Amino acid sequence: MVNRENNAMRADSPKNGCQTPTGGRKSEISPLPLGKVVVVALRGIRIRIWRSLLVVSCIVLAVAFLVYILASDVFARHVADRGSQLLIDSLTGAGLLDQVNAVNQRVQTYWMVGLALVISFVGIVNAMLMSVTERFREIGTMKCLGALDGFVLQLFLIESLIEGAAGTLAGLLTGLILAYGEGLTRYGSEVWRLVPAGEASLLLVACFVSGLLLTVLGALYPAYQAARMAPVMALRSEV
Amino acid sequence: MNMDMKASEAGRVNAEILATYVVRALGVRKTYWMGEEPVHALNGVDFSVHRGEYISIMGPSGSGKSTLFNMIGGLDKPTEGRVYIDEVDIAALDTMELAWLRCHKIGYIFQTFNLISVATALDNVMLPMTFAGMPQDLAQDKAVEILEKVGLGERVLHKPLEMSGGQQQRVACARALANDPAIVLADEPTANLDRATGEQIIELLSELNKSEGVTIITATHDHKMLSASNRIAWVRDGRIERIQDRDEIEIKEGDMRVR
Repeated sequence: MVNRENNAMRADSPKNGCQTPTGGRKSEISPLPLGKVVVVALRGIRIRIWRSLLVVSCIVLAVAFLVYILASDVFARHVADRGSQLLIDSLTGAGLLDQVNAVNQRVQTYWMVGLALVISFVGIVNAMLMSVTERFREIGTMKCLGALDGFVLQLFLIESLIEGAAGTLAGLLTGLILAYGEGLTRYGSEVWRLVPAGEASLLLVACFVSGLLLTVLGALYPAYQAARMAPVMALRSEV
Repeated sequence: MNMDMKASEAGRVNAEILATYVVRALGVRKTYWMGEEPVHALNGVDFSVHRGEYISIMGPSGSGKSTLFNMIGGLDKPTEGRVYIDEVDIAALDTMELAWLRCHKIGYIFQTFNLISVATALDNVMLPMTFAGMPQDLAQDKAVEILEKVGLGERVLHKPLEMSGGQQQRVACARALANDPAIVLADEPTANLDRATGEQIIELLSELNKSEGVTIITATHDHKMLSASNRIAWVRDGRIERIQDRDEIEIKEGDMRVR
């Protein structure tokens, strides 16, 4: 709509005529449709596939660890309720039951989960900041061609969202495999019925959301930095 | 009545200026701060660019050439004085309006081409039109048309890395023309090209200048570029030292050849 207006103004004015941003007539750049931004974002990921993989691997590690710890914890909690007497006896005999349910042990693991999340958060922020500084010319060029700050912000957030989704899914899978692998050795085939379906899916959804949240929060500041970058950066010839 | 006459008089003068000049810089000063120390990049520059001319800005590094160039391109604002692009005072524009100005009024050509490497020539040329909100099918037709104009009709679907430097710079020229700008701003467009290719690019710019009537402003060290220009502005120590017409340039170029 805005565009058609601009074209009309162009047509009735002399060549390169006098329509101006402040000339009273409304002339704005309309924001790009989201689909376009996604295409550009995917392109950005493809160019810097290794940097993207670095971000993805940070998320994979964090989410895998989170899922693994939480799932093992759920196993341990359900052993007493749902496990067979045989299993409980064998675990108690080996002194394992007390160990998995010991309070100080669980506090420690939660600390470790927290630390793992913080470390991967820092990793994501760092990788995204590097990707912003490394792309100063590209961002500057797009701004010279008329890209709005909002577009650059969206671009970086969507890029991180895609990387976040990929990393989180891979992390979920890895974490589950690890947790069930360990469960199999510890609880035998009973591991399959130790966790109720409702609780398992809740756990997966919670981990998925926190994985995405972690990435987008980590990308927020770098994306803001990119959006504020001056278009004149495009002219800088040294790298 | 009197007021009306005055207003129409002012309108007429304004239209005249608009028809003659595409850029006007009036008493422009730019001061940067290096810690406590002020650095005067420009010390009161008065400079105007005629609509449809081909002008080169020359000057040693640190002369304020880049600052002036950026100011004309709407990439920087003066500390003091006024810069008008198409009679719009750029200091009065907000971020959104500046983006609009850069999108519609100015085409940029960079020393390092700055194409998007994973996108085809076509996509690269379409990008500014996409930013301007043009429907994709129209943008595509127009991009093909411009690419044919710069002699790349055969290479529309090639990516930058599959093209030579000269061809990449041609794509950049096509991209600069995408939204029918009033000004094409070329920052050392031949510096990364060999001599023969550089000459072809200069020829292309000068052709576009004549056929499209687009104003071309370049910052350059390339003497070939000087002979293609209508005028040259020499910048030194934050001032315009002199502005030469083409006739004088040819004498100057003769000098250089002798030397």
